[in-house]
Amino acid sequence: MGSDFLSRLISKPASSARQPGRAQPPRTAADSWGSLMVAAQNGHGGAYRRLLAEMSEWLTRYFQRRLPPGDVDDAVQETLLAVHRRRHTYDPQYPLTPWLAAIAKNKWVDQLRSLARRPVEALSDEVAVGDHEASVVSSSVLAGLLEGLRPAQAQAILLVKVQGYSVEDASAQTGLSPSAVKMNIHRGLQRLTAIIEKTHDVA
Amino acid sequence: MSHEPLILDLSSDLAPVRRRNMLREGGLVLALAAAELALFQAMGVMRPDMDHMTGSPFLIWRVGSLGILAVIACVLALRSFAPTARPRKGLMLACAVAILAIVGGAFVTPDGMGERALLDRIDPARGVMCAVSIFVLSLPVALLLGALMRRAAPTQPRLSALASGIAAGACGAFVFAFCCPFNDPLYVVVWYTAGCAAVAAAARWGLPRRFRL
Repeated sequence: MGSDFLSRLISKPASSARQPGRAQPPRTAADSWGSLMVAAQNGHGGAYRRLLAEMSEWLTRYFQRRLPPGDVDDAVQETLLAVHRRRHTYDPQYPLTPWLAAIAKNKWVDQLRSLARRPVEALSDEVAVGDHEASVVSSSVLAGLLEGLRPAQAQAILLVKVQGYSVEDASAQTGLSPSAVKMNIHRGLQRLTAIIEKTHDVA
Repeated sequence: MSHEPLILDLSSDLAPVRRRNMLREGGLVLALAAAELALFQAMGVMRPDMDHMTGSPFLIWRVGSLGILAVIACVLALRSFAPTARPRKGLMLACAVAILAIVGGAFVTPDGMGERALLDRIDPARGVMCAVSIFVLSLPVALLLGALMRRAAPTQPRLSALASGIAAGACGAFVFAFCCPFNDPLYVVVWYTAGCAAVAAAARWGLPRRFRL
């Protein structure tokens, strides 16, 4: 009794995935996910397979709005593996979506960190860059995040990381030196990571 | 890209798992702290005037505040191991309890104690030993919480590690409170806080390195 009260007082489970306008599975799917996970915890392979398949679709949509297209599959797979390794931590008292969203957010931050560590390389003019601009740029999440950066940092990240321009091209467009563009990207990605880590809402 | 091969792979060798249970984990921590206390008693290192001191405001303050802090911090640490937990508010609550306990010390200072020189009251030579003892006594609980954290899935491992450190430090200080012969609240505040802070800092630094979700 006392421990229950303390538990509720100290920390309550996140309800972020229930907010309107956020990525979440349909209500019926979310309801059934919990029971599928309980079956999976009891060793039911069929239920687990169905659950992972539905989760992977949800995760793909989740990461498509938050990561460059090339990193989406890696993030989905990493998250599925984390779900598999930590499936015993799911508590059936609570809905599964916030649990999944919390793990997905963690993997998202990991991917952003690895993105920030990756060296910035100039793209050759001959290399075709897939047209993912619309899906990424129109993403309200990315736009919202970029608003938290200095304009020069947001512009550098948008040009080089999202639109695929070389550092030299971005430098010509912005009127900054190439090293300043690289610095803006580096600091901007660091700041993005910090913003995301502080963000309470994840789904 | 289809994730079907990975899904097939993961679901093909699925084994039943034992669900994480916070009550069971809390029981383990409690049992460990109780075992330490019993060991202390069996070794005869409890303060000899314990019977005389029982019921004194100073002992009630010292043991009570450390016990409350230990319980709150342990619950907070165990809760923070869940992926959905956000331990920041709980940490603030634990800090508030610690500050209240420190302030409460001003009301239980034995008569005449406040007139002594500050350095005499703090007694650094013995105080450091007290802080080191608290650090050593907190290690078993810290290791247990580290193992539980490793098995769980905290998504804010640094805050979880800090909560674990505070919990372990409070448990160590709680056990040590039964053998510490000093009756000055200032001494307790300074050196017990130092001991707990050292454990919290070590856990905050060390535990996240051993953990990856």
